[in-house]
Amino acid sequence: MISKDVEKLLLKVQKPGRYVGGEMNEVIKDKRNVDTRFAFCFPDTYEVGMSHLGMKILYSLFNSVDYIWCERVFAPWVDMEEEMIKHNIPLYALESGDPVSEFDFIGFTLQYELSYTNMLNMLKLSGVPIKSCDRTELKNIVVAGGPCTCNPEPIADFVDLFFIGEGEEVDLEVIDLFRDCRKNNCSKQEFLEKCAHIEGVYVPSLYEVEYNESGTIKSFTPKGDAPKVIHKRLMKNMDESYYPDNFVVPNIEIIHDRAVQEIFRGCIRGCRFCQAGFIYRPVREKSPETIDAQCHTLCENTGYDEVSLSSLSSSDYSQIVPLLDRLSNWSKDENISISLPSLRVDGFTDEIMDKIKTVRRSGLTFAPEAGSQRMRDVINKNVKEEELLNTCATAFEGGWNTVKLYFMIGLPTETLDDVAAIAKLGQAVVDTYYKCPTRKKGKSVRVTVSASSFVPKPFTPFQWEPQDTIDTIHNKQQHIKDSITTKKIQFNYHDADTSLLEAVFARGDRRLCKVLERACEKGFHFDGWNECFSLEKWIDIFEECGIDPAFYANRRRSFDEILPWDHIDYGVTKDYLITECKKAYESQTTPHCRLKCNNCGAAKYGEGVCFEKRKNLV
Amino acid sequence: MKNVRIWFKKDRECRYISHLDLNRCMLRALHKSKIPIWYTEGFNRHPFATFPLPLSLGFRGENECMDVKLEDDNYSFEEIIIKLNKCLPKGIRVFNVTEPVMKAGKIAFADFTIRLTSDTANTTRIVSALKELLSRDTIELEKKSKKGMRTVDIKPGIKSFEIEEKFDFVSLHVILSAGSSDNINPNLLITALEKYCNIVCNAEITRNDLYNSDMELFR
Repeated sequence: MISKDVEKLLLKVQKPGRYVGGEMNEVIKDKRNVDTRFAFCFPDTYEVGMSHLGMKILYSLFNSVDYIWCERVFAPWVDMEEEMIKHNIPLYALESGDPVSEFDFIGFTLQYELSYTNMLNMLKLSGVPIKSCDRTELKNIVVAGGPCTCNPEPIADFVDLFFIGEGEEVDLEVIDLFRDCRKNNCSKQEFLEKCAHIEGVYVPSLYEVEYNESGTIKSFTPKGDAPKVIHKRLMKNMDESYYPDNFVVPNIEIIHDRAVQEIFRGCIRGCRFCQAGFIYRPVREKSPETIDAQCHTLCENTGYDEVSLSSLSSSDYSQIVPLLDRLSNWSKDENISISLPSLRVDGFTDEIMDKIKTVRRSGLTFAPEAGSQRMRDVINKNVKEEELLNTCATAFEGGWNTVKLYFMIGLPTETLDDVAAIAKLGQAVVDTYYKCPTRKKGKSVRVTVSASSFVPKPFTPFQWEPQDTIDTIHNKQQHIKDSITTKKIQFNYHDADTSLLEAVFARGDRRLCKVLERACEKGFHFDGWNECFSLEKWIDIFEECGIDPAFYANRRRSFDEILPWDHIDYGVTKDYLITECKKAYESQTTPHCRLKCNNCGAAKYGEGVCFEKRKNLV
Repeated sequence: MKNVRIWFKKDRECRYISHLDLNRCMLRALHKSKIPIWYTEGFNRHPFATFPLPLSLGFRGENECMDVKLEDDNYSFEEIIIKLNKCLPKGIRVFNVTEPVMKAGKIAFADFTIRLTSDTANTTRIVSALKELLSRDTIELEKKSKKGMRTVDIKPGIKSFEIEEKFDFVSLHVILSAGSSDNINPNLLITALEKYCNIVCNAEITRNDLYNSDMELFR
């Protein structure tokens, strides 16, 4: 539903299709028949948000309950925001067109630290006070979930409650509690205090933090009877977990314009820089039968002719070949292509290649992450140069002639030699192409080498590590550039400025709230987008607030320091992370979960890969 | 194999999607509907559909059409309407399917209803400005082309017009040259109104019908 006021603005902005809703499968309910309205806010543009699987799952789940109406809200792009402010139009939800300020819940999914300013800006555009303490009534409850909430502290002043871990069950429990509290005329405070006892809910206002003179945390204390440790929630049985049989199908092109089928959660690998590899443990798979059925229904209901199998590392699905066989039973006849993103270097076998060959042939992307073998051992990537070159040879023989390689720079213990090895590895891939006997004569190879800057994240073995300073990163970027001697390699690198800000907020504490509050007052938004981001402006705010970003980003923390997120439990123990960190310094690798249990702590959930029979034990 | 022309309205939320997005939407609906449409045989197989005359973003379309090839010559047209509508967003409604009589290249004119309002001028002022503008011998506008800016005279492209003053808006009914060679976008009239008469108008534009060079309805 678009209001007349909004309609007047639509032809003045780019891509007005972002702001109107009206897509196939959007859920429209009669608001007289529901008692709880949930505004699901994605703090980025429509095209980014609509590509996000988590939002699709929860949107359908909420709307499957008859007393809840969940609607979608996205951050208006800068041109639309300007028009809305000029014409006094508050942020509205796409389905009903109603202002966000009328909703019982305002929920955000936080995928990326640089979207924090968008979250606050969306509250501001809604006319809702950004700080939790300024919203006193039992309405407009601001909730947040997603990977960034594993360190909720930098946004603790704004969010009433966080969902820690997977949201499918806990969200509904909170909504039910809210309805009870409303019926019994409870205050917002009473509601929050009760909420804190639901497993997987963290209410930041119920805790007090004290700091040492050095700036580190002295103590973290619950007020009243709030739990000392907040445990994550997870879905134990993926086959029985809710999965939508339908997606809202956008009328305009979005980033990932296809059906998405989740095949498993978690990752067996344990690469030491990767937060997802630790916080989603243990690995829990869906059965091929479930995937096949869900996939088929989804394609039928959406009309998409492409479905992508989603996970952190698709080739690690234990029955990948039987699954692809099963899917090809219908996909070919129905002109549907299957795509397999997130393939590991060692997972791209001839067999898998043949099976996905029916798919449109886009480029192949692999992530060796580091150039030298020593460095790959430090990060526990467990990929050998030989494996990468063999895989590339397989791909070249299969007719591909473009390969993208992803790397990180600024990893712990990294030297300039390790960095130069990135260029060398790129060169080795180019050489592999020219050694390939079946390559098409006259056709050149294109190898894209992308280097992002390492950002240490909570709940990884590198959570204590300092990030390289911007100058060091620039030196390393230049060093790669200088080490590349062929035009067949295209070198891209990620802006070091945004990585610094990401590092500050990823491992920040509550004192950063005032920085964000100030940023919101100054109208910051879309910091993840180059056209809006300015490090200088951020540095001004840090100075104004008396906060040194280097304290959060570039300082080595000691193992016995209280970390801002220590009160949150994701299953993996701190001891395990310390062991892994020490092994990294010695360039020692750790076998993945299917080879050997390394006793990380995630087995306590009693499910998943921890209880699979290992082949070498049979 | 039979050529068929599918007629639809583009309105509501779907007014705000571009031609490229409309194309994607239609292909997805055709795919989902499982109507026996001919698919391209290339590497990325997709239903084959062409649009005789694309509609600009923001316009409402009353009689829009799309051509496809039907693999089953006896497939019911009624069935196509029902099935496609189930697979399309509410803003796009199929209401007829015909066998094409004219080739897409025959399109020569299109008629539009433009609802004009202005924050700065009342309806009487808009009417007099329109009359003044449309009675000029030439209406010259700067138009971006591949070779840079060039001046075009849109006056010869205006076949006929009718102005009606309503209570709080002005309705302009206009027939303009259309098709692949001399297409006049009605937005140019709004630009001209600003250039010649200094009136900034909001325009809600509806394309009603398409015609051939003899002013016969495009079928």
